[in-house]
Amino acid sequence: MPLPSYFLADRPEPGLLTPAMITEACLTLKANRRRYLEARRTPDIIDAIAAVAEDWLDPANPFRQAALARGPVELGFSRETLAAGLDAFFASLTREGLRALVVQDLGHLERLDQFCAPEAEARSGRASWARGPELLAHLPAGRLPNAPLLSLVLGLLTRSAQFMKCASGTSLLPRLFAHSLRETEAKLAACLEIAEWPGGTEPLEAALFAQAECVTVMGTDATVAALRARVPTPVRFLGYGHQLSFGYVAAEVLAHHNLPRVVAAAARDVAAWNQLGCLSPHAFYVEAGGRNSPERFAAALADALAGLEATEPRGPLPVTEAAAIAARRGFYEVRAAHSSDTQLWCSPGSTAWTVVYESQPRLSPSVLHRFIYVKAVAGIDEALEGVDEFRGRVSTVGLAASGAREQALVQQLAQWGVSRICPLGRMQQPPPDWRHDGRPALGDLVRWVDWERPPAW
Amino acid sequence: MAHELFQDLIRRVREFIHASDAVLSGSVGAQDRVFDALALELFAAQYDAVPPYRALCQARGLTPRDVTTWRFLPAVPTTAFKDWDFTSLAPAERRTVFHSSGTTAASRSRHFHSAESLALYETSVCAGFAPALLPEWTAGGGRFRFVVLAPPSTAAPHSSLAHMFSTVATAFGKGPATYLGETDGAGSWRLNVGRALPALAGVVEANEPVVVLGTAFGFVHLLEHLEAAGARLALPPGSRGLETGGYKGRSRELPKAELHRWIERCLGLTSERLVCEYGMSELSSQAYDGAVGVATDAPTAGGAPPASGRWFRFAPWARAWVVSPEDGREVGEGETGLLRVLDLANVRSVLAVQTEDLAVRRGAGFELLGRVPAAEARGCSLLAR
Repeated sequence: MPLPSYFLADRPEPGLLTPAMITEACLTLKANRRRYLEARRTPDIIDAIAAVAEDWLDPANPFRQAALARGPVELGFSRETLAAGLDAFFASLTREGLRALVVQDLGHLERLDQFCAPEAEARSGRASWARGPELLAHLPAGRLPNAPLLSLVLGLLTRSAQFMKCASGTSLLPRLFAHSLRETEAKLAACLEIAEWPGGTEPLEAALFAQAECVTVMGTDATVAALRARVPTPVRFLGYGHQLSFGYVAAEVLAHHNLPRVVAAAARDVAAWNQLGCLSPHAFYVEAGGRNSPERFAAALADALAGLEATEPRGPLPVTEAAAIAARRGFYEVRAAHSSDTQLWCSPGSTAWTVVYESQPRLSPSVLHRFIYVKAVAGIDEALEGVDEFRGRVSTVGLAASGAREQALVQQLAQWGVSRICPLGRMQQPPPDWRHDGRPALGDLVRWVDWERPPAW
Repeated sequence: MAHELFQDLIRRVREFIHASDAVLSGSVGAQDRVFDALALELFAAQYDAVPPYRALCQARGLTPRDVTTWRFLPAVPTTAFKDWDFTSLAPAERRTVFHSSGTTAASRSRHFHSAESLALYETSVCAGFAPALLPEWTAGGGRFRFVVLAPPSTAAPHSSLAHMFSTVATAFGKGPATYLGETDGAGSWRLNVGRALPALAGVVEANEPVVVLGTAFGFVHLLEHLEAAGARLALPPGSRGLETGGYKGRSRELPKAELHRWIERCLGLTSERLVCEYGMSELSSQAYDGAVGVATDAPTAGGAPPASGRWFRFAPWARAWVVSPEDGREVGEGETGLLRVLDLANVRSVLAVQTEDLAVRRGAGFELLGRVPAAEARGCSLLAR
């Protein structure tokens, strides 16, 4: 499906951008926001977003079809991996989920529409209105669509005009999402712009920052720091550095009848977005002492990944990244030849998936693309020692545990500094009201207006 | 028994080196069968005498009976030299150990030599070096002065590169070599800036051709120093240079062509008088990307010139080929993969080495792209460093 040229990133030569074009686009966005968006009501916006999300779940939707047709070449995910990821994301954008998000972060469903007060505030004689930035600039990272698309959704909820600057070669899914919104609600889409240029093109970025009221950035620490330094002081800056995640499997869930379910969940977390997201696991820590050993878990995980490769293949890799996998495999192959403390399972004749079992808990970040560590531990203390180097940089723990142990583990993980704990198998499926890196994503965008209501004069 | 067997193998590899026609032909014609036989015999001996190698082969289900051609010899990843001693030498025989340039003991490879295996290493080094850097020598020419931008091997006893530089400077040098490199307290290499300019001025004054040997970062340190001093030299006619190794974070990095233009500007060595060398502490032979005075911009089989214009070849007693990281098979002409090397001069260690270097297959040689990079940031996860 050829997309009409509507957004800057649709242009045949998106490289030919000038600062004046960016400024003009921002001014147009702001004007459109005043005309079409500012006065819309929250339930109405939620309806529009949920309708677009439902459309994306329909196999006949042309935008979905375009994503699945072009994604494998442009983004490097297989059609099946892409479909699974998009389904999980759009299925989460329900009316209920979006309403829950507004109430959770802002205390009241109408908080973005007018002065209002939940009961406690009303009792203290106060009402508040949460106002979104006039223009939000987003600079997302990588090729995973979840975070950039959710950013656009949040910006719609805050009635902000939005300019999303994608890294080179990564704008396909934000563009398709914006086009699909345009088909449903052209006026909402008129308040969005999607552009693409190589990161660090300072004149373009300076023009964008000069118009923005708030800038969100995702990327490496170095990228976030460099951009933070270039955003003018009065502009709010929300930086999300890269994080990593891991899974934890308690001994009590490793009973024979349970093992296939637990392992299938773990394999889904590895395969989702080919493990490239910050919510994807680098390792599974598996407690020893259960009915099945951590080695047995690793072997079963290898089988499950082999099965997934048949139905949801990883897809081809650039040679440099395949070489990183081959080199890492070579290292563990020699270790495995010397001691059963290390074991290795590899997809035959390809780098499609790799499982490394190790009896030592220290985490080395994975080379990803479905390369997963399984580490045997006596308990959670040993696992947390193993990831200590990454304390403060751990996003999600996918947990398989039950009963009182689950309670205790969750408590300990929270105290250690993890920001999200979810069931194993759902690591890449956060709900829309997920608090990104432990922060209220919607709440961080708004500026509050408090009205302390006077007594009768 | 094992000792005598290896003595015999060392003798036969030395004979093979001497019999090689000392040109970078890539193919050894009549010696192919000798190469095959030596490779398989070395493999059998190393399988028996190098325990970690045997363990790796057994894990792959391979014994000397299963391997019938050198191409299928099990290759040892270079990273494994950090964890295990891939050597057939008993501890008492290990006279020399070469380390890779890691920062801590745990991150450094270990390649052990006995007196005999080190002598073979030196034979291999000299036999590979002469045709690439001193084509006159093979035609019966005289000795050269050497300027080395690295410390002498006595100051860096665990560097195979320093040993190579000292070996060729002794074998082919006219008088003692001038070493402009030194080690600092931490063992890192640096340029002796006080000596560099006077020494090079003396070389120009003497007006006799010199051979300058250095790492890329050694050249950068020298050139930065010369520029800061406002010095531009024209090394005497017939001079030549060898540049090797990466930067290892020890100087600013620049593309090879730019470095070579800079060398030409400051030292007067044109690119056809500069030869690049590829080697590593885990090997006993080196590859060169051409020979002094010989045009290296030959077209590839398809007729298109290679992107960088130069490619590497090993001397006939070592062979390199480029394998796909996906399935380990040799890639097609012009395709990229990981470099694998079979070095007959690695008698007391293991002859088949799997590097972490990316290379493009170019005819009988390869174009080096560099070390496998840390995973590219395609997602938003923290990556391996």
